[in-house]
Amino acid sequence: MSLQEHYRSQARELLAAGAVKMVVGYAEGTTPERRRPVFITEPEECSRLVLDARCRTNLAGYLLREGLLSDGREIAVYLSTEGVRTINILAAESQLSSAQVRILGFEIDRDEVKAMEGKRAADFSEAILAHKERRKKQAPDELAAKLEAMNAAERFTFWQGEFSRCIKCYACRQACPMCWCRRCVVDNNQPQWVNTSSHTLGNLEWNLVRAFHLAGRCVECGNCGRACPVDIPLHLLNRKMTGEVLEAFDHYPGMDEHQEPALASFRKDDPETFIL
Amino acid sequence: MSEPFEPKIVAFVCTYCTYAGADLAGTSRLKYPSNVRIVRLPCTGRISPMFILKALQKGADGVLVSGCHPGDCHFDHGNYHARRRWTVFNSLLQFAGVPEERVRFSWISAAEGRKFAELISEITEDIRRIGPFEQYHALIAETGSPAPL
Repeated sequence: MSLQEHYRSQARELLAAGAVKMVVGYAEGTTPERRRPVFITEPEECSRLVLDARCRTNLAGYLLREGLLSDGREIAVYLSTEGVRTINILAAESQLSSAQVRILGFEIDRDEVKAMEGKRAADFSEAILAHKERRKKQAPDELAAKLEAMNAAERFTFWQGEFSRCIKCYACRQACPMCWCRRCVVDNNQPQWVNTSSHTLGNLEWNLVRAFHLAGRCVECGNCGRACPVDIPLHLLNRKMTGEVLEAFDHYPGMDEHQEPALASFRKDDPETFIL
Repeated sequence: MSEPFEPKIVAFVCTYCTYAGADLAGTSRLKYPSNVRIVRLPCTGRISPMFILKALQKGADGVLVSGCHPGDCHFDHGNYHARRRWTVFNSLLQFAGVPEERVRFSWISAAEGRKFAELISEITEDIRRIGPFEQYHALIAETGSPAPL
């Protein structure tokens, strides 16, 4: 039995037994290569659930819909390792209780989907640890390496070009499971920190602020980059930040639900080579 | 003929150490360039990275962020939190192409009036050398907001 079938029947059983009130998974999208999130509450509907290598979206963010988890009942979600880490971070930030999240774990390896065993976020700690080790060794991608080799003025020009295309649609924020603030700093108008008109200046400020707020929290699921209508390489910023917190503080976000956030904790011997 | 370039530098400092250090520099009659505008805050922990972006947005050529040495924070650990934030934000700014010389971080205690005066001189000279932050100023001009003073 394929993993898709296996999880379909599991979802059906969970819903029929009343163990979960909803299954958040993937269904066919508007074109053959697309997948879209579905929210299934009836066992009969479970045949709509799809699972293949095109299921890239991190679905964890949907759990934060206001009031969704407030009745204390469980919800089953299709999650990859990034998704499970998201659950850990959200639990650490008191945004949800991981006991209410029943995980249907999977991992995409090239074009294949593999099952990940476990029910609760805590069951995946080994897989997450393996990811951390792999991340430590991961070399920067081609574009990132090219950027690092540039001088400051060239880098500025590069980002100026990228951010000049930004239309401030905030799709990155909407797609991001970590952007759960009820009132984003960019919506603040007294004082107005960030220019809201879509000039390059405001776009630069907005994207820098978002990258900063995700430092030590981003799981690199890629939701923001996929959502961006003008293809700004947002992953470069987020990856840079992830690399920085990993290197400076040995912090890999989402190890478990008790992990202290990188920027809300400290060590007395944190590095400080750049401070005069 | 245009006037010679005078850098505009904004310093965000904590009131317990660096501000007191600046005060000491003044009462000791130490000379330092008048290019720096000091913004006093309760603690480095209160200095949000938004302040740095705001200073640049308003046309600053350089920014200094300074507070108590680690272990000396009036609130015990405000500067430890600040340090983590700076580490991340500093790396982000550099990745975005803001030159290292433009945004500096330092520890200056209430007893280090001399260090304050010397650092301000050094930063002012650095920025005088690299000139106005033209790339950022071009972005500001594009928004149609009045030219920075």
